Parts: sequence; C-alpha cells; structure tokens
Amino acid sequence: MPSSNQRIQIIRRTYYDSVTLMLVAKELLKTEGVSVASLSMGTEANYKIMGSGGFDLGGVDATPNDLIIAVKTDAPEGEREALLEGALEKAKEYLANPPGRKADSGGDYRPKSLDGALSILPDANLALISVAGKYAGDVAMDCIGKGLNVMLYSDNVPVEKEVEIKKAAAEKGLLVMGPDCGTIIVRGVALGMANACPPGPVSIVAAAGTGLQEVHVQLARRGVGVLHGIGTGGRDVRREVGGIMCLQAVNALLADDEVEVLTVLGKPPAPEVEQKILQTVKAGKKPAVLGFIGGEAKGDSDGVFICRELEETAAVAAALAKGEDGARARENLFRDYESLRQRAETIGRRKGFLRGLYSGGTLCYEGQLIARDILGPIRSNTPLEKEMKLEDSLRSEQHSMVDYGEDEFTQGRLHPMIDVSLRAERIYEEAKDPEVGVILFDVVLGYGCNDDPAAGLAEGIRKARSAAGDRIAFVASICGVDTDPQNASEQRRILEELGVHVCESNARAARLAAMILEG
Amino acid sequence: MSVTKLLKEGPKVVNIGVEQFYADLKTQKAEAVSMDWKPSAAGGDLLARLKKLRKGGN
Repeated sequence: MPSSNQRIQIIRRTYYDSVTLMLVAKELLKTEGVSVASLSMGTEANYKIMGSGGFDLGGVDATPNDLIIAVKTDAPEGEREALLEGALEKAKEYLANPPGRKADSGGDYRPKSLDGALSILPDANLALISVAGKYAGDVAMDCIGKGLNVMLYSDNVPVEKEVEIKKAAAEKGLLVMGPDCGTIIVRGVALGMANACPPGPVSIVAAAGTGLQEVHVQLARRGVGVLHGIGTGGRDVRREVGGIMCLQAVNALLADDEVEVLTVLGKPPAPEVEQKILQTVKAGKKPAVLGFIGGEAKGDSDGVFICRELEETAAVAAALAKGEDGARARENLFRDYESLRQRAETIGRRKGFLRGLYSGGTLCYEGQLIARDILGPIRSNTPLEKEMKLEDSLRSEQHSMVDYGEDEFTQGRLHPMIDVSLRAERIYEEAKDPEVGVILFDVVLGYGCNDDPAAGLAEGIRKARSAAGDRIAFVASICGVDTDPQNASEQRRILEELGVHVCESNARAARLAAMILEG
Repeated sequence: MSVTKLLKEGPKVVNIGVEQFYADLKTQKAEAVSMDWKPSAAGGDLLARLKKLRKGGN
C-alpha cells in the first residue's frame, strides 16, 4: 500500500492566537519536502479551506476548540513517513516556542491579568482586544468595568453580546469600537490595521476598517490629515444595535474643537439609524461629509455633503478642509474617472467574467456597486442583494467578488490583510477558469498588515499568468502611502513588474476592471 | 466623559491579543502594555460559573 503524502494531528482543547499559527505554518514550509502546512482551529470554514488545499479530511473529527496541524509532502514515497513525522514534531516544538515572537514584544514584561496591566499603566484609557471572538465579549466587559474604552478587533462576537457591551459602555460614557473593527486612529496614532499618515483637521467615524483606511489614504494623497478615525464595527448602524456607538462617536467629534471637518462613512445604515445620524450631524453645524457607500440619502444640504463612494468622500472632505468647493471637487473627480475608459482601451479589452478577490469588506462592497453599474449583476459572499449570494464562497460564478475578510474565512485564521496566502492561491484558481477575463484585487498596507503583501501575492500572479497568458488582465488598487511600513511605491513596483495594472483607488480599480470587459 | 479624555490625551493602551499591534504602538511611541493573555486567565466564563454556583444554579 503506498504511504500517504499527508499527516494530520488534532490537539484537543488548545488555543493559540492566529498570528502564532501563521508563523508556525510559515516556518514549517521552509522544511525541504513540506509542500503544504496548515495550522488552524477545527471550524467548518477551515475544513472547507483545508479540503480545497488538497487535504483528505476523512475521519478528522476536530471541533472549533481543537487545533488541527496538517502537513503534506511532495517527497518520494520512501522518504514521506519520516519527513511528515518530523514536520509534526517540529510544529509542536514551534508552538511551545513560537518563532519570531520575542522580537514582537521586545522582551517587555507581559502581565497575565488586567489588574497587572493597569498597575504598569495606571492611566490607560483604551483596551485593544484581539483574542478569539468567543472570549472577546467577556474580556471587553472586564475592560469596561475598569473604565477603559475598547477597540474590539475580534470578530465572531454574537450581536446580543455586542448590544450588551455597548449599552454598558454608553452608560459610562465609554466607546466600544467594534467588534470586527480593524482600524482606529486616535490623535494620529494608528491602532490595528491603519496607515502611517500625518494628523490633520478631518476626523472620521467609520464601520470597521478598510473604508476608513481608504478615506485616510485618499485624504493623505490630497495633503489632508486625520486627527481621529473611530471604527464602530459594521453591525453598529444596523437596526439590532441602533447606531449606539456611531452616534456616541459623532457627538464626541462634533464637540471637539480640534475637529474641523467630520466624515461618517461605511455601508448604508438601517434607514432609521441613517436619519438619526443625518439629523445629529446637521445639528452639529460643522462641515461634514456622509459617505454611505451606495446609500439611499441624496442631495447635499445644510453644509452636509452626501457621497456614495470612498474616494468621492475623501475628495469632498479634503476640499472642505482646504476651504474649497466640495461640489466642484466631486465633479472634477468624476470627470477624471472618464479617462479610465481610454486606459481600458490601451490595456486591451478582454472577454469573459470579472473576478474580484478582496481583503477589505467595504472595498468589496464598493467594488460590486461600481462594477454592477457597468457589467450588471455581481455575485458575492457579501452580495448587494440576497439573490446574488454565492452558493460556495470558494467557487466563483459569472461576475463574482469575494470578501476574504468575512467571518467564514477568519474563524481560527488570520485576517487576509495579514495572511495573503489564500488569495494568492485563489488568483491562480480563477486564472484556470477559461471564462475569466479580468482579476481584480486590493492590496491593503499599514501597521498590522502583512509586511510585504505584493510579494506574497506574486507567486499566485505568476502562476496565473503562465496558466492564462494574455487572456486575463490583472487590476489592483493599493490602499497605502509611502510612509507605511511596506512603502506603497515599492509595493506598486512589485505588482507592475508582474504586469498588474495598479490604480490610485479602489473606485478607479473597480471601474477600470469593469471597463476592460465592457461591450 | 471618558471618550473625551481619550481624544484629548491620545491612546494609552492595554493590548490583549495580537502582539504585532503592541509592537506597532511602540514604533509610534504610544504608551502601551501588552498582556500575556490565555483563555484560562480571562476569567469571564469561570466567573460566570462561580456566580451561578453561589446562587445555587449549576
């Protein structure tokens, strides 16, 4: 009987944070003969991802509380047994002593309790929580009990728990930013995944992450900085939560004399929440821009501008901060977008379907809105309309855009802005489909993100190119600036050398991608 | 109001979870401390169970 080319081990009731799991998997891949290495919690989504990575999961009975270590080899049969056994042992050694971990904390003392942390930093005013979702709610409640504002990076927190936490915080005049809040900026300091831009007169309230990052970056490109960027979590403006934290943040920023222009953005809120936000902002008598992507509200009034896209929101806010005409800034931007048609012509029209692979949720949503206007219905795991939901997020159909930041991809795994490997593999998978004409993706930079995402995606793009030749055009946007740890210009250079058409914003990239397939 | 204090003073952070976020705060010279967090140390579930037991629940 031939020996198996895979080995799977389950470690029961074991918790490791997803950064450790990625570091260990990366380290294992450096072992000669190891072709695939995966360390993930036994969630349904991870079973699917491992299955699509070629693992035979027959007989594997891990639960979401169990860790699955899985390795595959491409070594000749006689060497497999020893190699796989060695890799598993190595994995366990690395878990006990994670590679690269010491450098992260700089050897600083790490207290084991919240009281211990507060004895070291007694005037702490914010807890940044990124533990697994099932624990995050209780940890947040403990922090609120100690009078700390909370940034809840963790996702997979039940909505009932979110409401409970937010009500408790609101009573104490504290903010809960999240759950699933990837980015915040306080006095120009970036927390979580945020860009290294200088502070300035604009402040932002946003849903979760990439919407805020994109507007932050677009403002910086126009020479305007952000003082505060407050994320509320995507569900905050839905009916169930009622915009508790969005309204709390809006009121705090309206009362702040240092804030000259207020911007509120994200996916469209529930209509009654949108009305409350609009009324609150109007009453604040501060120049303001509401950028609810694809929202119903229309028409600028009382010094409040209503925008439907992210770059548009930034362009108008930048104009207001400079004392210029916001409406004219918008007109100029949309005139500029018309030139993308010429660029599509120069690149060369393609036939077939568009496949968008996103790490940013708001970017994916905006991408769908823009592409739908040009190409018609777009299918997605986070569709604009329910009927357009992909049956299987791992299999595209017709025009599709997939948000890899959705909960289904992040349970017991790292966010795609940190671990780009799943998208790199998917780029290659999409390229093998003969009906695909354009592959569109985002590259999000900043603190907390992968230190070289373009290089991480490069292998997938190279393989895709050799599979598809010129049949497919690759279009990307880079959400980042040169002062980011990854350097946006350097990332652009890597992508352009691979033949990727890089755009200045997601709104431009989505337009260009769709225009290449137009007609 | 505590949120106002946060916006005026800037962030002084207790990091609970991903170590990279702590390293990034240090790079930006923000005041921060990072906890060595483990589920067993979180206390939330255990505390809830103990409270239930004290009330005679199970």
